[in-house]
Amino acid sequence: MRSKNATIKIIVILTLILLSFAYLLPVYVMIITSLKSVQEVTVGNYLIPTGSPQFGNYTEVLFGSTRFRSQMLPRLLNSMIISFSVTFLSAFFGGLGGYYLSRSKSTFTRVLFILVGIALYMPLQAIIIPLVTLMAKTRLLLTHWGLIVSYLVLNVPLASVLMGTFFLSVPRELEEAAEVDGASKIQTFFRIVTPISMPAYVSVAIIIFTQVWNEFFLALSLSSPATQTVQVVMAEAKGTTLVLYNLQMAAALLSVFVPLLFFLLLGRYFIRGILAGALKG
Amino acid sequence: MSAITTPTTRGKKRRRDQLTFVEFLVFVVPLLVFVITLYGTLIWTFYVSLSNWSGIAANYEFAGFKWYQSLFNNIRFWVDVQNNLKWLILGVIPTVFLAIFLAYLLELAPFPAIESYIRTLILYPVAMSFIVTGTIWSWMYEPKRGVFNTILAALGVQSPLTFTTNPSTATYWLILIFIWQYLGFAVIIIQSSFRTSELQEMVEAATVDGASKLRILFSIIIPNIRSGLLVLVSLLLISTLKVFDIVYIVTFGGPGISTDVLSLYMFIATFQQHLVSMGAALGVIIFLIAFIIVIPYTIYALRRWFE
Repeated sequence: MRSKNATIKIIVILTLILLSFAYLLPVYVMIITSLKSVQEVTVGNYLIPTGSPQFGNYTEVLFGSTRFRSQMLPRLLNSMIISFSVTFLSAFFGGLGGYYLSRSKSTFTRVLFILVGIALYMPLQAIIIPLVTLMAKTRLLLTHWGLIVSYLVLNVPLASVLMGTFFLSVPRELEEAAEVDGASKIQTFFRIVTPISMPAYVSVAIIIFTQVWNEFFLALSLSSPATQTVQVVMAEAKGTTLVLYNLQMAAALLSVFVPLLFFLLLGRYFIRGILAGALKG
Repeated sequence: MSAITTPTTRGKKRRRDQLTFVEFLVFVVPLLVFVITLYGTLIWTFYVSLSNWSGIAANYEFAGFKWYQSLFNNIRFWVDVQNNLKWLILGVIPTVFLAIFLAYLLELAPFPAIESYIRTLILYPVAMSFIVTGTIWSWMYEPKRGVFNTILAALGVQSPLTFTTNPSTATYWLILIFIWQYLGFAVIIIQSSFRTSELQEMVEAATVDGASKLRILFSIIIPNIRSGLLVLVSLLLISTLKVFDIVYIVTFGGPGISTDVLSLYMFIATFQQHLVSMGAALGVIIFLIAFIIVIPYTIYALRRWFE
């Protein structure tokens, strides 16, 4: 559909400038502000980068200080542990469940598919009270498992649908050939289907990792001192350090670093995952 | 598939469809456990909403629809409903239109390099959390020293904008953050629904017939991306309904309760006021709205999946 029309060229270039401004400005502001001193943040020239970058802001945010008590480093580790565990386990269980959903057409499968489909859009507010009660009773709340298990409840259904979407496009002939050779369904799945579905697993992993890393409501409701995540500590820091915009921005930068890196390195898988989530294959 | 199947193929089909006990255990049970837990907690929430739990200790004494009634008589609840409606309408409609416009423009863009640049540019916020975006935008919105008013002042405009500190317009500025964050996501979905071979052929035929670009957009493309639109609108409606993070981090419902939404009220009622049963009632109400929103989408997905 490419066009050589002059008006369209002008519109494209105008849009390009406008969007660049709208989407680069927040990141630009975040980066330059994170390197300023408090004095610079209060006096003005908010859009001009500082002459003497304060890299100390980052260490202050990572390890905490008297004016910034929310240490980011342990929270980054918590988020890592939780996000990687949930990603790995969801992709594993979701692959198995998604394979079943994509290969069986029984009434039971249809009912399960509807339940899973609605589960993807379950508002967390509708399940949070029992989750907190359960996690407190079993004392899982005090360990990373409280959040991991809670996220699994939400993300295994998601991973099943995402993986299932990919499995639907895997040709059955391969599996049929394996079955003729006497392989069981479990062998077929692990030896034939899983290896050729690795790109799909990467897509699903990125989507789930980003989602869990960025999730806030559940992390906040189930937060305990030892397992607090990056998002919760960011919110806490914003509430307690009202004027320290420079440190808030440094914290923001540190907390987006990991998911943004994945996005930039594996953007194609990321987009494929989004599209699978929208059931577009 | 033909209606008449020979005994051998029927037998083979059954073998392929039915699982042995071990296979059921491996493929189905893990998913089933999580799904049952999810719906179990949903039913449990409903039960809590019908009991009399207000305070730290759980109390499951039956109270009927008492908490729903008290919500319906509560001004804050109706403020929230109004704000949620603003979110549903203004968070979705402009995003969809902007996305269609941008996706079409990207298709027409003379250079592929521009297309991939814009795509990355508007998509990166998808990888960021609302907490981070909210923190940055709070700083940009700051009325006295914030980025926007600084820019306007540099251009010689004495900015009257007070952004999220003005109770009557604060919600709109919050919605703007949402649109900013979701636009790239929306463009990706619309773009992929452009790229079916049937649609491309129709567009080509119309171009040969001399139809204008706008004409093609309105009479050929938009009517033919209905399923893409259904998916996008459903996803956006659900996201705006569930909105919590942006409001929590930027205004916490303020000034006063002017930007409060149902999900934030649910959180405050449950964890700060300890009116747990009322929080549960709010949770159930949010679920019911979400359920209504996803019905058409689920039917569509079901058809596509098992076609």
